[in-house]
Amino acid sequence: MSDNKTLLVIGGGFSGLTAGIEAAEAGYNAVIVEKSPYLGGRVAQLNKYFPKLCPPLCGLEINMRRIKTNPNITFYTMAEVERVTGSPGAYDVTIKLRPRYVNERCTGCNACAEACPEERPDEFNFGLSKTKAAYLPFDQAFPFQYVIDDKYCKGPSCGKCKEACKYDAIDLNMKPKTINLKAGAIVLATGWNPYDANRIDNLGFGRVKNVITNMMTERLAAQNGPTKGKILRPSDGKPVETIGFVQCAGSRDENHLQFCSYICCMASMKQALYLWEQNPDAKVYIFYIDIRTPGRYEQFFWKVKDNPNATLIKGKVARVAQAPDSDDVIVEAEDMLSGELIRQRVDMLVLATGMEPSAKTARPSVPLTFNEHGFAVPDDKGILAAGCAKNPFDVAKSVQDATGAALKAIQRIVGGR
Amino acid sequence: MAQIIKPDLNFVKEVIKSGGQDLKKCYQCSTCTVVCNVTQDKKPFPRKEMLYAQWGLKDKLFSSPDIWLCHQCSDCTAYCPRGAKPGEVLGAIRRLAIKEHSWPGFLGGLVNSPLYLILLLAVPVIILLIGANGNPLNPDSIPRGEDGSIVYAKFMPVNTVIDPIFIAAAAFAVISFVIGIKKYWNTLKSGGYEPKSASLSSTFISTLKEILLHKQFSKCNVTKTRTYAHLLTFYAFVGLAITTTWAVIYLYGWELLGIQPFSVFHFGESPYPMTDPLKIFANISALALITGITLVVLFRLINSPKAGIGSYFDWLLITVIYIIAATGILSEVLRLLNVASLAYPVYFIHLTFVFFLFAYAPFSKMAHMVYRTVAMVFARHNGIVSKELITERQAS
Repeated sequence: MSDNKTLLVIGGGFSGLTAGIEAAEAGYNAVIVEKSPYLGGRVAQLNKYFPKLCPPLCGLEINMRRIKTNPNITFYTMAEVERVTGSPGAYDVTIKLRPRYVNERCTGCNACAEACPEERPDEFNFGLSKTKAAYLPFDQAFPFQYVIDDKYCKGPSCGKCKEACKYDAIDLNMKPKTINLKAGAIVLATGWNPYDANRIDNLGFGRVKNVITNMMTERLAAQNGPTKGKILRPSDGKPVETIGFVQCAGSRDENHLQFCSYICCMASMKQALYLWEQNPDAKVYIFYIDIRTPGRYEQFFWKVKDNPNATLIKGKVARVAQAPDSDDVIVEAEDMLSGELIRQRVDMLVLATGMEPSAKTARPSVPLTFNEHGFAVPDDKGILAAGCAKNPFDVAKSVQDATGAALKAIQRIVGGR
Repeated sequence: MAQIIKPDLNFVKEVIKSGGQDLKKCYQCSTCTVVCNVTQDKKPFPRKEMLYAQWGLKDKLFSSPDIWLCHQCSDCTAYCPRGAKPGEVLGAIRRLAIKEHSWPGFLGGLVNSPLYLILLLAVPVIILLIGANGNPLNPDSIPRGEDGSIVYAKFMPVNTVIDPIFIAAAAFAVISFVIGIKKYWNTLKSGGYEPKSASLSSTFISTLKEILLHKQFSKCNVTKTRTYAHLLTFYAFVGLAITTTWAVIYLYGWELLGIQPFSVFHFGESPYPMTDPLKIFANISALALITGITLVVLFRLINSPKAGIGSYFDWLLITVIYIIAATGILSEVLRLLNVASLAYPVYFIHLTFVFFLFAYAPFSKMAHMVYRTVAMVFARHNGIVSKELITERQAS
């Protein structure tokens, strides 16, 4: 069911879903291609949205419902676009599907995972926990269908999961598949990855215990996360009473990401609120160069700043060490307002890392220009882009951008331009 | 507490011109100050220096010893998110501090600009040509030793040419330095510091210890190798200073003391045989210098992607030292090989650059040894101590 009236969306995160759904609801066919085993992308990993602090799974649920009830939408998970030829109005697309080893008969009963003897680091939780090699990406994953990680699964020689499955949903001999389809327009919405904190060698990540990233903090605070939503530090499970946030960790930095990711200041302040919700007396130290709260988000900043347990220090952290006597973290910065060096001891340190466009490390096989940072630079004729593939956006702006992209895509389909 | 800021825009331009061309890229995040291993807790550098320099607050920069407590490790430059190169900027500010305080001022301007290099070189060339016995390019015009060997003392007589010229050059440098130190000390005192340490002499001794051991310098991270190159060059200079003193004793001391040459020690005029302890010591020092300065160049080139390449001011001193070391060794080798056509010109070049190094020391980067020492003494005297590095427990 693909033709030149079809919109192909590469990426099933919030931007991609929005572009596909909006076009489908306007009467066009939409095909959404997602690399991971589930839809929802980075948003699915977030605990809460700023500034209203509502759960993203709610918004995702609405979108999943729109997908389920709309016959114009097709989606493929574990899928990647391999080749695109043709021009606006008439593209030929080749898509490669990686084997899930679990078919649609899966009811999500968890019997396979219980039977599976192999473990894998849970990348959904950024390695803060483990899953079995047969696993469900997360509680509310859509499609609600297990998946087997062939990097860790021993294959048919083990077969314990297959024995355990009452629904004949497991096929350990599943092979990769290639499908071809036609499309009138393409929207690239490949999103972003958290910048690799290991590359910031002076901020202690991977070297000093209890130094984590902002996205890991989302998982720590999430009900469906590794600690069931309790903010406990990873090394010893101690409830966090003092927390430090390093703003611009690897951002606005010519040695790392050269740009501002727009969301990290808001994210850290949001995470301060997560902690205060659990422990109103928790001490929060935010080290910043400039606090950037665009537009009306300024009010969110006031809310955090006025909390008596918040300390905002103007001065970027550039040295992080393990305390000599415990798993605490010692953070060194210059408090520029007093002009003195300070060393703050915290239970846990959060690096507010930025967004690296996915295309920076895995360039999509599409005829589209990317800038030096890996952001797509669509022209006014060819393939479109939406969301964080194009610019660092928050979710609200991604949705607006993707809706605009859907309209542009329809224009391409209708006008062949 | 209102403070009226008087920016000196010319000074900003001078910093930019003197090697701080990336100064304006700084956006005041203070990564530099935190990654610095030689800064202090209370008023750490170089973030504040970057701001002062951007604003043209010359007095604030000069009236603090901090610019000299920086050893240009370039840890700051390597980690700077903006490529503002604080290490290079502080180098430029130090260069301007030398220019500001050295006397007579006009020479500072000349030494700082490649335009006047020929003029500055012409001074020793002319003086030495006037003093020389014969033309260095025509070996036959120069008297030889009794066995026909090359004797530099017959080309440039020690008593009548070398001593007057170089004693005058050294005396000029000393007078100039004394005036410079006085001016600089007064500038530092205007910075509102309060002396904490008991006596200047004890702080001087602890500073001397620091210089001899390069303890602060060795805290550098990114350019750790520079410490060894500098240390070797430094001790080569110490060795050559001892050599010079020793040579003076050989020339004049034995007569005053009424001692005759004995054993391996040869008094009187040079050249001395290769087995003479003075000769051995001198040769070791010369080899140390050429090795040290070669390493300085090598490490500078290797480190340049992270630390920056340096300025004219840096490379002028490096080049002068290199030429002195190379021509010094070559002079000896060519003399021993009796290659007169090359020996005399090379020796002439050697003397020219030794004069250059001595006479212009108060204005060139060589002056760092004096100003840095003064600033280090001042800092110790006023209780400024470098920060303690966090002792880290290795994550297991």
